[in-house]
Amino acid sequence: MSDVLYLKRKKQTRHAFLFIGLLILLFSMVTDRGGEWRQVWEKLPLLLTGSMHGWPLNGGFILNIFIGIASMAIATVLGLFLGLMMLAKRRWLSIPARAVMNFLRNAPWLVLLFSMLYLLPYRVEWLGFQFTLSPLFKAIVGLSLPTAANFAEVIRGAVNSVHSGQWESARSLGYSQWQIYRIVILPQALRRIIPGWMNLYALLAISTALATVTGVQEVVTLLRTTLATESEGSLVYFYVTVLLMFFCYCYPIALLARRLENQTKGDAI
Amino acid sequence: MFGLDFSWLLDPTYQQWLLQGVLQTLELAALSSAFAIVIGLLGAFCLTFRLAWLDASIELFVELFRNTPPLLQMLFFYFTLTQIGFTTEDPVTGLQVPLISAFMSATVSLSLFGGALCIEAFRSGFDAVPKATLEAARSLGYTRWGLFRHVQVPIASRICLPPLTNVLTNLFKTTSQASVITVPELMYAAGQIYNDTFRTLEVMLLILVIYVVLVSLVVWLIGWVQRALAYPGYGA
Repeated sequence: MSDVLYLKRKKQTRHAFLFIGLLILLFSMVTDRGGEWRQVWEKLPLLLTGSMHGWPLNGGFILNIFIGIASMAIATVLGLFLGLMMLAKRRWLSIPARAVMNFLRNAPWLVLLFSMLYLLPYRVEWLGFQFTLSPLFKAIVGLSLPTAANFAEVIRGAVNSVHSGQWESARSLGYSQWQIYRIVILPQALRRIIPGWMNLYALLAISTALATVTGVQEVVTLLRTTLATESEGSLVYFYVTVLLMFFCYCYPIALLARRLENQTKGDAI
Repeated sequence: MFGLDFSWLLDPTYQQWLLQGVLQTLELAALSSAFAIVIGLLGAFCLTFRLAWLDASIELFVELFRNTPPLLQMLFFYFTLTQIGFTTEDPVTGLQVPLISAFMSATVSLSLFGGALCIEAFRSGFDAVPKATLEAARSLGYTRWGLFRHVQVPIASRICLPPLTNVLTNLFKTTSQASVITVPELMYAAGQIYNDTFRTLEVMLLILVIYVVLVSLVVWLIGWVQRALAYPGYGA
């Protein structure tokens, strides 16, 4: 049996599975014997947007997506700095950067998130202005730290995978260190950085569920408060709904990242 | 020292709590890692059958567990497993308590989560076993199980130790989320201590350091295994 045929059959089977799964889900929704889906349906706007009628947006899964995007923005900037510091030739730059990276990568996300809650002050004075740091802001910072460390590692791996001949030829053409990075190395490393970056984003989007410990009104918090008032039988239905929310958001991103990664595999740069 | 006050560390009560937390974390991590590796191997073995429906279901399992928050998985298992209704009589109080404890649900949940990650890691390792070696073994008359046990596992396990390190450290870090479902591990102990002393910052810093040390130990341990098992020419 050839590989191509087998892969094709696997794909068909996967689609069949998906179809059957959707059918079962639809069937249980249409029959809805215990009325559990109706309960979920009534609470769905709340879980998605944090308000009963879907507007205004004050939390729910929308907030998870927002936390994810904001954290990713911070983590990208921090990770880029940290990654370039790790690659620096100067020891006094690279050694501390590596230590910070290892520390942040080996610490559990949840513990880092908690630490940020207590490390960051409640009130900050900057340029004469008073800022209050909300739990939401602290959650975003807390989630961005481990992501930044992981991103730094992605950058380091990608830059190291660029063929060393590129360095030598660029140097022989008289480019400066910074120019080599900017014009020669980073554009080539980008092919590897982008899939890694997307994978990280998928991981971060999943981890936004942890923000529940900061008391932010995101989907897990709302789910837990909702379940306190709902009947016990509907519990599983609610959980399945929220799990599916995360799955539907993260799986396509992870899939796309894998496709891009497979494209860069084996290309000798 | 930087205006931090660690005097509470001298209190034997807190030392006791911390120690118990560390032990519980290690127990949870060890159990779930062991089960995860078993699940990973089972999944990898099932993939050698090359049955489309089996592969598709394994893939579904992996993707479901990889693309949903472990925290939610844990809450889900905690509430469903303790609700199933198996209850025993507590010999001390005579009350009906759920047979499946929070610790057990956390173990089940983490094992499945880790198992999904392990299957993925092992699959990459098994794919990297040279085809010629497999054909040679088949021509020598190895059965499917014999081939798996004597050829594929020895070679693939060495190739996939680096990704397995990632998986197991990830799993170790995820155990901290069991504190949300009241498993008295390290993170939970931390919460208990700062509720008592109000020294949140110091406690969190200490816990961070403990976790980093423990995870580094795990990394070192797997590295040691890797060096001990190294075949020249297979794996890094």
